Amino acid sequence: MEAEVIEAELVLPTYMSFKRIQMYEKYPKGQSRGRHWKHLKQILQAENYQNYPPDEPNYVNIESPPSMHPCKRICDITGFEAPYYDPRTNLRYANAEVFKLVRSLPNEYVQRYLALRNAAVVLK
Amino acid sequence: MPFISQIKRQTDYNLFPSSTPIVIDNGASYFRIGWAGETDPRVIFRNIVQRPRHKTTGETVTIVGDHDTTLLKYFDCTRSGPRSAFDSNVVYQFEIMEYILDFAFDRLGANGSEIDHPVLITECVCNPVHSRSKMAELLFEAYGVPSVAFGVDAAFSYKYNQQYGICNKDGLAICPGFSTTHVIPFVEGEPVYRGSCRTNIGGYHITDYLKQLLSLKHPQHMTKLTWEKVEDLKMEHCYIAPDYFSEAQLFQKGTKEAEHKTRCWQLPWVPPPTEEPPSEEEIARKAAIKERQGQRLREMAEAKRSSRINELENQIHGLEFLLQQLEQVEENDIAAFLSDTGYVSRQEIESTLVKLTQSLRKAKGERKVEQAELEKTDASMNEKYPLIHIPDNMLSLEQLKEKRRQIFLKTTTEGRQRAKQKRVEEELEQEKKNQEEEERRLENPELYVEQMRAKYKELFEKIDQRKRLKTNGNHTNGNNTSGGVGRGERLNAAQRERMRLLTTAAFDRGKGEDTFGAKDEDWQLYKLMSRDNDDDDEEMDENEAELARISARLQEVDPTFVPKQESGPTQSAAEIPRVRPLTKEDFQIVLGVERFRCPEILFRPNWVGIDQVGLDEMTGVSIRRLPTKDEDLEQRLTSSILMTGGCCLFPGMSERLEAGIRMIRPCGAPIKVVRALDPVLDAWRGASVYATKLQFPQQTFSRMDYYEKGENWLRRYQLQYTL
Repeated sequence: MEAEVIEAELVLPTYMSFKRIQMYEKYPKGQSRGRHWKHLKQILQAENYQNYPPDEPNYVNIESPPSMHPCKRICDITGFEAPYYDPRTNLRYANAEVFKLVRSLPNEYVQRYLALRNAAVVLK
Repeated sequence: MPFISQIKRQTDYNLFPSSTPIVIDNGASYFRIGWAGETDPRVIFRNIVQRPRHKTTGETVTIVGDHDTTLLKYFDCTRSGPRSAFDSNVVYQFEIMEYILDFAFDRLGANGSEIDHPVLITECVCNPVHSRSKMAELLFEAYGVPSVAFGVDAAFSYKYNQQYGICNKDGLAICPGFSTTHVIPFVEGEPVYRGSCRTNIGGYHITDYLKQLLSLKHPQHMTKLTWEKVEDLKMEHCYIAPDYFSEAQLFQKGTKEAEHKTRCWQLPWVPPPTEEPPSEEEIARKAAIKERQGQRLREMAEAKRSSRINELENQIHGLEFLLQQLEQVEENDIAAFLSDTGYVSRQEIESTLVKLTQSLRKAKGERKVEQAELEKTDASMNEKYPLIHIPDNMLSLEQLKEKRRQIFLKTTTEGRQRAKQKRVEEELEQEKKNQEEEERRLENPELYVEQMRAKYKELFEKIDQRKRLKTNGNHTNGNNTSGGVGRGERLNAAQRERMRLLTTAAFDRGKGEDTFGAKDEDWQLYKLMSRDNDDDDEEMDENEAELARISARLQEVDPTFVPKQESGPTQSAAEIPRVRPLTKEDFQIVLGVERFRCPEILFRPNWVGIDQVGLDEMTGVSIRRLPTKDEDLEQRLTSSILMTGGCCLFPGMSERLEAGIRMIRPCGAPIKVVRALDPVLDAWRGASVYATKLQFPQQTFSRMDYYEKGENWLRRYQLQYTL
């Protein structure tokens, strides 16, 4: 290991005096590295919130509802107000110039623009 | 900007008694740890872990937080990026969390056998009990912490600001964080989680949005737009527009103001060395060099030629001398005499001599001689072929043979001469034609040019059509000039016909009675099948020659004439735009609308596909969710709205929020939006103050409590913030 790396103490030591169980004891080397930790979705499912009274706040029911305001659309490319919508690419656009650009975009870019607002075509 | 890591190892760990709590603000973006009662955390770092491989030794190491990136050059970071223990705002990867805590306690200076201090750690609002219990377990089991308390960061921040009179005991805390945004109402100084709401949008989404937009706008600089750099750009340039659409209008119209508001990030760029046009002197020098080289070549060629002439002359002299000598030698001794010269007979020497003289003439460039010779042959025709006019029966066998040879020679020479004559005649005729044309042109130039043009066009189209037919098959009717050739149209008409014949011939074999060859026409099939039956090639060549002639003529007489390009790929090649040299502007990343478009998603999460209410509406939702409807309380809440969390640092945030809330509140309602003293650090400071309170130990729980009281108790566990 290079001197400057050691000096900066970049690398976390494997042994810590203040720990009761060391990292290497807990997660021995060579054993399945891809230990699975429950993702948030799985955690929430296991919490069984449906068994508790609905007026008790929990992680799921404090989530905000969808907006009641009319949704203003913006041009996917320029960010200006977008009165138009291109049915071929599904992109929204502000004016004729942007439309020209929209039509000349390769599909990959169209999909990336759509992915920004979570509207891309996802193949499963 | 405020987010700067402090990772220096602390040395005074042992000076603190074991009753002093350690306070941790475990935020999704930054981890802060320090001692209760102090005003600032001791250690701050990004809440991420990287596990790269050391390049030389190949061992996998653990690196926590953000370090000097120059040191990372010794590591291979391509396999795994920075990882976070958080999913949204909930800790779920406790292995990563453990690395982070290891690093944090180590940098705080811990060196005993365990961490013998109570720990106050922050968590999200309504943290799932799974995450909470795992965290408690980790602290108890791995570090031997005596007692633990969990609190909400936004609440600590609110309490801290309440202490300084920034906000009241009834109010709202708006906390746009890294991955989520919360609004928590406070009644009598206590958070009411029933009234709180969470939208899953935060600084992470803003940075990501900006990064995506910029890399779509400047795909050539994608690699330069790292997460850290974009985060910097966001903090430096982004702001919240008072009204998004009117702000965007400014940019759309391209006003001066918009130009003023556009920021640009110049990437490192070195201008390419400019090539100055060569000076007169330079040109002259180059020409001189060229001239000199040419001269040298010419001299060399001349020398070579003269040496060759010399050589040839010498050889000729030698041979002549040999011949003279031969005159004096006896007939019988010739063979012996010639044996050491390499020649066999007198005739051979003579023929060599003739050849040599010819090549000498050639070398000397005497063409006239040849001409003269030709004429001479003409004259001496009869002498040359003396046997032709003698009847066969008068000749011997050998003479007959000779006669046949002479006849052959004569006919070929005559034929050649006839062809030559014809050529001369043709030339004459062409000249005559040209003269006629010239006369016509002089008579009426416009009409002449017109006619020529018409002719040109006609011929051109004819040739073009023919070509297209050849390549595209015979059903192209002229309007398919763009070259769209389908699968079946790859072969030309003739080739396809040939293929058809071949296949039918192959498949008809053995079917029924074979009558092939019964008729003579059957054999014509082979002629069709053969490869070289392009019948109209000749006509085509003729047409092309005529076209070339006309176009040359037109170019001569009509200065405006431009010969048409042949249809096909040659046309597009001419239209390729010339490559523009790269300029400074090509290395600029321009931030225009993006400056306020990205933070705007806090107010309009559906722009990034999150179908939830924005920041302003959240206050309305939060107030609606309160268990009791109380006009008075609502007024008190809205007159003390505190903004805390990293995303409050955008300029224009409080004005926009106030305007937004005013829209959803009844007319005339008191609205006051204030920003926390330090939106980033107040949560830790609040927690630090809280942990020093005398009643704090009652709010914590020990390992024994944890195992005795069980999960259901832990689910309900909630700090009392007012002590």
